[in-house]
Amino acid sequence: MPNFSHYSKYGNISEAIVDFGNHAREQELNVGVEETLEILKAAQCGILENLSTFKYTLKSIYCCSEEDQEVFEKLFDWFWEREKLLVKSKTTYKNQSNLHRKTEGSLVMMGKGKQEESSENARNVSGANAIQRLRKTDFSKIEEMESQYLEELALKLWKQMSLRLKRKMKASNRKSQLNIRQTIRANISRGGELIRLHYKDRKKRKKRLVILLDVSGSMDKYSFFLLRFLVALKEHFEKIEAFIFSTNLVRITDYLNTRNLSSTLSLLSLKANNWSGGTKIGASLKTFNEEFAKKVLNGYSTVIVLSDGLDTGSPEELAKELKKIKLRTRQLIWLNPLKGMKGYQPVQKGMSAALPQVDVFRSAHNLDSILELENLLLSV
Amino acid sequence: MESILNTASIIEGFDQEKYILDEELATVLFLMMKLGKPVLLEGNPGVGKTEIANILANYLKTDLIRLQCYEGLDIHSAVYEWNYQKQLLSIKLQEQSGLSIVEKEAHIFSDDFLLKRPLLQAISGKDKAPVLLIDEIDRADEEFEAFLLELLSAFQISIPEMGTIKALHRPLVVLTSNRTRELSDALKRRCLYHWVHYPNLEKEIRIVEKHLPGIERNLSEQLVLFIQKLRNLKLNKSPGIAESIDWARSLLALGYKELSEEAIARTLGCILKNADDIEMVKNTEYEKLIKD
Repeated sequence: MPNFSHYSKYGNISEAIVDFGNHAREQELNVGVEETLEILKAAQCGILENLSTFKYTLKSIYCCSEEDQEVFEKLFDWFWEREKLLVKSKTTYKNQSNLHRKTEGSLVMMGKGKQEESSENARNVSGANAIQRLRKTDFSKIEEMESQYLEELALKLWKQMSLRLKRKMKASNRKSQLNIRQTIRANISRGGELIRLHYKDRKKRKKRLVILLDVSGSMDKYSFFLLRFLVALKEHFEKIEAFIFSTNLVRITDYLNTRNLSSTLSLLSLKANNWSGGTKIGASLKTFNEEFAKKVLNGYSTVIVLSDGLDTGSPEELAKELKKIKLRTRQLIWLNPLKGMKGYQPVQKGMSAALPQVDVFRSAHNLDSILELENLLLSV
Repeated sequence: MESILNTASIIEGFDQEKYILDEELATVLFLMMKLGKPVLLEGNPGVGKTEIANILANYLKTDLIRLQCYEGLDIHSAVYEWNYQKQLLSIKLQEQSGLSIVEKEAHIFSDDFLLKRPLLQAISGKDKAPVLLIDEIDRADEEFEAFLLELLSAFQISIPEMGTIKALHRPLVVLTSNRTRELSDALKRRCLYHWVHYPNLEKEIRIVEKHLPGIERNLSEQLVLFIQKLRNLKLNKSPGIAESIDWARSLLALGYKELSEEAIARTLGCILKNADDIEMVKNTEYEKLIKD
């Protein structure tokens, strides 16, 4: 039995384990009643002989990933060796205040808090005409008043689009290969003569959609809407992976799940340190290649990069990393909001370096341009 | 299996099979046998995940049944399949026999016509619980993962034509994953989890020496140090433990007593299997990697 010195406050070791389980649950480790029961069961097999065996037991049951294990190590040391109590409570407090600050900050950055926008494009919204116009209005020219309306419209249209995509996929149901298993079963009653044939279709490979969204300063106005576009896509594509980048890259797939978008957005701004900062596309893609590419890309995935291509990093790096992505995917699509501007030419260093690797180069500056992506997404 | 009393005996047993086990993993394996839960091993390629299952089977003197996962793996190649050709022949042969349809059906859906795939094999072991290795589960589809959930909690398989087959002896299940995708929480919850790290310097030297008892300490130290440095270089494919052992074997075969630039240049193919990586390492100075 290890020396659990502070266990005087618990009646016995089981109570201590249960309480540790509660702490572990708060840290989002894998702790349910079943897990705790298992540990108590294991305790009878002699794992309490020494502290390390005890630790490894809890670790293997409570953890589900490498990251969990790190959290666990800290928690275990804190709880069973009871030293870092004070330090810990301070950190939590600090984190909370940080979250609050960032949330407010990001709203301003995304153009929500700004009031003194030029009134060039500001009009009242009403009727079918307005809808048509809104669909064609560049995201960056949209006033705060209209943005709410546009959002609703956008969500509605995007949902319709996703639904159409789904239906179209269902329609293909080709008969090709003979299903011997079913055929034999079905024809036994005919004395084994194969009269009615059954077929099987090739199982549809689930294709992945990977989206890399630029949230740097120059993309400010667009990224707000494009992020919503991602959320809409997420609802209807099961296999989607989303990342945001500016000077660093952050995986946000898990955060697209929540229905409540504003909390998602504040979480995102917390995750991306440099939201609305400069852009290092090459470096961000490099991070993507190193950390995520092997996990999320296979020969069947489609990658969509949403960026204006205004890069402060080196174009060579961008081209190199983009090429690596290209090698692992079926289709590489680059959507550039600036392409919607009259007379736009992809001449910036970053963009011209990227273009040779890109399969499809389109704009994504207003609702209509995004709805036009439907055909592209059909083949995903 | 009852004879396994504690983690120390597992460590020793594995040691005899030339596998150096640390206490943490030994605890996990101990729990696996005591609690009857599957073990999920995650880690980089080449850290010896699959080997653990092999050694475990040797150690327990039982069979190893292996299921290699891949995208598109389905029930027919993982669990069972009927032998259609044989069934068709049998139907033809019975045409004149005057058996009723029910009898005919019972005949062609009997054990003789069943092709047992790994998962069914694993639960139909008659005298001893086998070790079931489900390798690279992350490469299988999510549907298959869901099916596994059912199997791993009940250890039974139902075949519509025959009924339910329940395991007489629960297999010891080892799942491995390279983490190319995240597994479902439900599956993870049913397993004991262990992340397999690359061994540290001292342990890896012990591993190499265990496999090649004749190697000189000087050489094994140098080559393991070199490999460990390579792993820090962010290569496309980092060398695993098998590569260390292969490399040591090659160096011995070529008669090298210590690591020199020439030795490395001649044998680099043993440890690096990617053109970009080889290029990159060739451009860094070996000296730096050999010494500090």
